[in-house]
Amino acid sequence: MNVRVVYCNHQSADLTVRERLAFPSSESLERAYRELRNRFPRSEHVVISTCNRVELYCAQEDPTDAPEHRDLIRFLADFHQLPMETLLSEMLEYQGPDAVRHLFEVASSIDSMVLGESQIVNQIKSAYEIALRTDANGPLTSALFQRAISVSGRVRTETKLSEGKVSIASVAVGEFGKSIFDRFDDKTVLVVGAGEMATETLVYLQGEGVREINVCNRSLERAQRIAAEFNGVAHSWDELQRCLGRADVIVSTTGAERPVITADLMKTVRRESGPRPLFMLDLGAPRDVEPAVGNIDDGIFLYDIDDLESTCERNRKKRVLEIHQARRIIEEETSKFMRDVYHKATGPIVKRLRENWEEVSRQELEILFRKLPDLGDRERQAIEKSIYRVVNKLLHPPLETLRDEARTGTPHGMISTIKRLFQLND
Amino acid sequence: MFLHNVSLICFLCSYLVALALELTQFVRRTTAARIGTLLFGVAGFVAHTTYLLGRSQLHDLPPLLSSTYDWMLVSAWLAMALYLGVQLWSPKLSLGIFAIPIVLMLIGVAPFTSRVPIPQVSQMRWWSMLHASLWSIGILGILLACLASLMYLVQHYRLKSKQVELPALHLLSLERLSRINWWLVVVSVPLQTLGMATGLWMIYLSKKGEHPVDLLSSTVVINAVMWVVMALLFGWMLGAKNPTGRLVAFRTILGCLFMVLTLLAMKIGSADIIHGFSSPQQAGGNP
Repeated sequence: MNVRVVYCNHQSADLTVRERLAFPSSESLERAYRELRNRFPRSEHVVISTCNRVELYCAQEDPTDAPEHRDLIRFLADFHQLPMETLLSEMLEYQGPDAVRHLFEVASSIDSMVLGESQIVNQIKSAYEIALRTDANGPLTSALFQRAISVSGRVRTETKLSEGKVSIASVAVGEFGKSIFDRFDDKTVLVVGAGEMATETLVYLQGEGVREINVCNRSLERAQRIAAEFNGVAHSWDELQRCLGRADVIVSTTGAERPVITADLMKTVRRESGPRPLFMLDLGAPRDVEPAVGNIDDGIFLYDIDDLESTCERNRKKRVLEIHQARRIIEEETSKFMRDVYHKATGPIVKRLRENWEEVSRQELEILFRKLPDLGDRERQAIEKSIYRVVNKLLHPPLETLRDEARTGTPHGMISTIKRLFQLND
Repeated sequence: MFLHNVSLICFLCSYLVALALELTQFVRRTTAARIGTLLFGVAGFVAHTTYLLGRSQLHDLPPLLSSTYDWMLVSAWLAMALYLGVQLWSPKLSLGIFAIPIVLMLIGVAPFTSRVPIPQVSQMRWWSMLHASLWSIGILGILLACLASLMYLVQHYRLKSKQVELPALHLLSLERLSRINWWLVVVSVPLQTLGMATGLWMIYLSKKGEHPVDLLSSTVVINAVMWVVMALLFGWMLGAKNPTGRLVAFRTILGCLFMVLTLLAMKIGSADIIHGFSSPQQAGGNP
């Protein structure tokens, strides 16, 4: 198995880069998978696109089928209509065990901006399901992603990473929101968008005492569903401007490809509402709110995902022991996964070799028994056992050597040598 | 006997050490330094209280009425009491770096003002007490509003520039600072107005006494101008439509700066002919 990931995340690239590379909707992901299948038909693919990262995983049984780093970058550049040279410096890459370890870290939220956040597992599941639906993945990526989800569960159970402030909303409100407002129970909250991030944000804000909740979404039905869950009011997209004017806290989490709250729109809103304090949290990637909105007046405090980086880094430093423990589990699981993969790769050759030799010994025994018809059952059984012991003893050294080699990687060279030596044709 | 051994230097030094320990929190935040700040603050406050009691006994007058020097020290004492109270209520709040400098400034300026009791006090003790209390609390209120505004601007700058909060600079929310500022101005200016009114009434009463005061004296005119500026700030805060918190903070600071500079100029420039002599030398007292 050959696995490779090209990626950029909150540590390596700014939001301005990430938002240009994002696949914000399932439609764009499906389009990407179709294109990937056309370009690399012998590869399996899964794309993870969240506000913190864009990662393209690809896996093949045969390393000769693997697309090169440049090929994958070219795909991203062509898909997003970006210059390839820019992406070459922004995108990082891991291969083999490093790529597996990276996915396990991502799934366990070690690599997340907010350490311990649970949303990433759902995002990975969702990415995997879309890949499954569009036939972009296969047995290799299935095994890899299923293991990643189970590793994430183990890390959450065996460490305390999931305790404390584990959502972007909690970090943003804790670091900035509470420095703007003293209390939230008398504030009006507007959530623009109706995705999972919106739900998570509302859970936190309701915990902070927020009572007046408005949800505005392009699909009124989805807005109504979320609003009902939080005793809020759903609004159609046409009412956005009116909702913006009434809100004290605005959280935007749409999957729009361009800003839905523009500076011009907010200028109109602020002319009517006045310059009272307004806490705006843009959790979209690409961003939902034009950065210029933050400069309209003194009362607007606008934050996007990257503005929370320093706070998250400070929290991360406080929990270094938990990270250490999680990494130990991930390391153990990576080794285990790779061992399983390598053994799986050597499995067919071992089986074929054993079957061949057993077939030869069976044929020879038949010839021998035909020549010696007077042999009794006990003698026949004793001879059979001796022959099988000989076969096993002869097979033992090459198979043991193969197993040893498979501990550190797929022993492609040795497999091919064994195939040639023992004439094991595919 | 003990009261006479405490000098201004005692509590000034205690407060300086408290401020220095507060500043070390920016380099390394430790519990020991936090406790140290509080201990030196309390020690200074005890010495400060003792000193004021000594002064009161010396002149047989409440500290507020003794002289401008005592007014300053009482204002510093009130500010320190407020700081210690808030610090005990919310130990995480970084109030020290804002409040202690104001306390130090008041104590630092005090020796340059008159220590001689105001001559009219003996004739109109209760009016004088009311007048001094209203002005002192009004002035202190504006100083505290200035402090709240300063904290507001620091917090506003941090939030606008999206910076992480420094553990050594944990401030109240903009909403609360804005509310505190508004109430301080709205309460302090009427107190100053009442102080002004009692002052005018005392001028009227002084016409019949041994030390008549001229209504057009520099003290009255300067104080009236200062009061007008404060009243304008008050009127603007009550009447302005949709003022931003930042603008309110700026105007409060400007108003306070004007008030402090006017008071200092009046005291140091020998323009205050009602509230005692401008300097110890003029008064013939010891520095």
